[in-house]
Amino acid sequence: MTQASIKSRSPIAAHPVTSAIIAILIVAVIFFAVYVPLYARATPMVGDFPFFYFYLLIYMPVVSIVCWVVVLLQKRVRPSGSQDGPAAASAGPGEVNGRTQ
Amino acid sequence: MSNVNYVTFTIVLVLFLIVTLTGFAAARWRRTEDMMHLNEWGLGGRSFGTFVAWFLLGGDLYTAYTFIAVPAAVFGAGAVTGFFAVSYTIIVFPIALIFLPRLWSIARTHNYITPADFVRGRYGSHSLSLAVAITGIVALMPYIALQLVGIDAVLTVMGVGTSSGNTFVKDLPLFIAFLVLALYTYVSGLRAPALTAFIKDTLVYVMIIVAVFYIPTRIGGWGHIFAAGEAHMKAISPVTHKPNGVFIPTTGNSQLAFSTLALGSALALMVYPHAVTGVLSTKRRDIIKRNMALLPLYSLMLGFIALLGYMALADKATVASVKKAGGNAQLAVPYLFQHLFPSWFTGIAFSAIVIGALVPAAIMAIASANLFTRNIFTEFFKPDATPRLQTQVSQWASLVVKLGALLFAVSLPRTFSINLQLLGGIWILQIFPMIVFGLFTRWFHRWALLAGWLAGEIFGTIAAYKVATPTTSHWAGSTDLVFGHTVYIGLSAFILNVAIVVILTLIFKAARVPEGADETLPQEYTADPAQPSAPTPAAVGIGSTGAAPDQKTH
Repeated sequence: MTQASIKSRSPIAAHPVTSAIIAILIVAVIFFAVYVPLYARATPMVGDFPFFYFYLLIYMPVVSIVCWVVVLLQKRVRPSGSQDGPAAASAGPGEVNGRTQ
Repeated sequence: MSNVNYVTFTIVLVLFLIVTLTGFAAARWRRTEDMMHLNEWGLGGRSFGTFVAWFLLGGDLYTAYTFIAVPAAVFGAGAVTGFFAVSYTIIVFPIALIFLPRLWSIARTHNYITPADFVRGRYGSHSLSLAVAITGIVALMPYIALQLVGIDAVLTVMGVGTSSGNTFVKDLPLFIAFLVLALYTYVSGLRAPALTAFIKDTLVYVMIIVAVFYIPTRIGGWGHIFAAGEAHMKAISPVTHKPNGVFIPTTGNSQLAFSTLALGSALALMVYPHAVTGVLSTKRRDIIKRNMALLPLYSLMLGFIALLGYMALADKATVASVKKAGGNAQLAVPYLFQHLFPSWFTGIAFSAIVIGALVPAAIMAIASANLFTRNIFTEFFKPDATPRLQTQVSQWASLVVKLGALLFAVSLPRTFSINLQLLGGIWILQIFPMIVFGLFTRWFHRWALLAGWLAGEIFGTIAAYKVATPTTSHWAGSTDLVFGHTVYIGLSAFILNVAIVVILTLIFKAARVPEGADETLPQEYTADPAQPSAPTPAAVGIGSTGAAPDQKTH
């Protein structure tokens, strides 16, 4: 692998801790969903829901939050340019109408 | 048409008309000067923000077939073949977060429109890009046809067209729905599904929220619903002499089947061409990332949709209706709604399913058409095709694809479409190495990738053909025994594929087989160009441009 691949890796080398946290979060969030023995049981019941079904449903908001944290951490590893700074952060539903050129 | 409920029918008809008008009006939405360009027709001007992209991707990935088939599978066989879909939509987003932003960046920089465009540019190989294009088109055809199965289930329960013995009259409502869809897609391109997705998703959310809070109060609460599900799964089927299904996967084999199905399906989903089309239509790199964090909210909805299968089991009238209709589990959810909702709300729920079929069908047809235009027509027949000609070819190709899917759905037995869709997942998973590995490294050799792809496709197809149950001799499912373990065939074929790719890459490198030209640069995979590279005619030919002038490199 050449100079180019070293260059593309440099932001990760510059932020080893953040990069490691990102990797751990992604691997963990996949593992805890794929490793079925962890939650394949009926008890404890949560309300009327068997644990298996409760676990998979409650996992959705958890994935959402974990992905959000990963996105925020990635911004620290590879900060975007001016264009993707505050303007991007405030751009939300309002984008529906005005087409930005 | 004697037993049609006219309140329900009228509401479905009115909402269908609203969607039709919206589809045609979408041509004027965010209008630009030159609409005859694939960036415009095929990717909506690459201009969608977080909000639009959320609806578009949600409308794209959660199809009518999902609303019908996932609860149908839960209704019929419980957790492993049905509820795995929930686990699958959990892991798809963290996986996608790893590679989709890179795909977006490189596609934006080089003006790639299809995943096959990227493969062509990365490996300098016509045959590899053709492999991606053909796999994509072949896998999408039954997927579009399956959207019709969703519409058909609703129409059957509504009593529309079923009384006639004539195939043409029987399927006339399907013909009309698809004709309308084909016309507005032709006119408006990706703008049509993007705008109609708002209507679809609003209806689906209303439907599911009401269903989750209202239905349990009518049929004895969640405790009763789960008890009915558990009782049905544990009951011994008179045909197979085995339990009907799995309520909670506690044995090693059922757990492995559950997790390999989830993992394999999750890997496949985001390399489906229609998913890539949705992703490439967004305006900025961080919109993709943000959406991977926001889309799991749809999966929560899918979780409750899956539980409709148990609700149907808990409602005796629904179980009786399904039995009377020849045991077709696809009808479970429409019957459940019809029995428990007042007829006006049944109309809304049925509209949600019908419109939920039209949105993804449109995006899939556009994705197939783009693959044909860019990677077969322009690549092999007319390399100097102008943007205008490419757009026209895509428009016609989208009509042909939809017509093909329609004939497919009408002429072949419904189960055949379902089997082909399972196969489609297995097929699509085999292009994962070329695309996703290629986003990170150029180490893998192009001929090795081609050989691995071919081996994976052949193995997967044969293995799926051989799956048999006491009731079905072939294509009975998508899991198979590998060394005594039940594994998703797509994933075992994928592992074979990757093993061959690695071994052959080492051999080809040792033999110094030419690697092909790579037109991409490492920093382009993280670039965030504000606009697509200038859509001059020269920039549109495949792989002809370098980086966009305003591209940022960091």
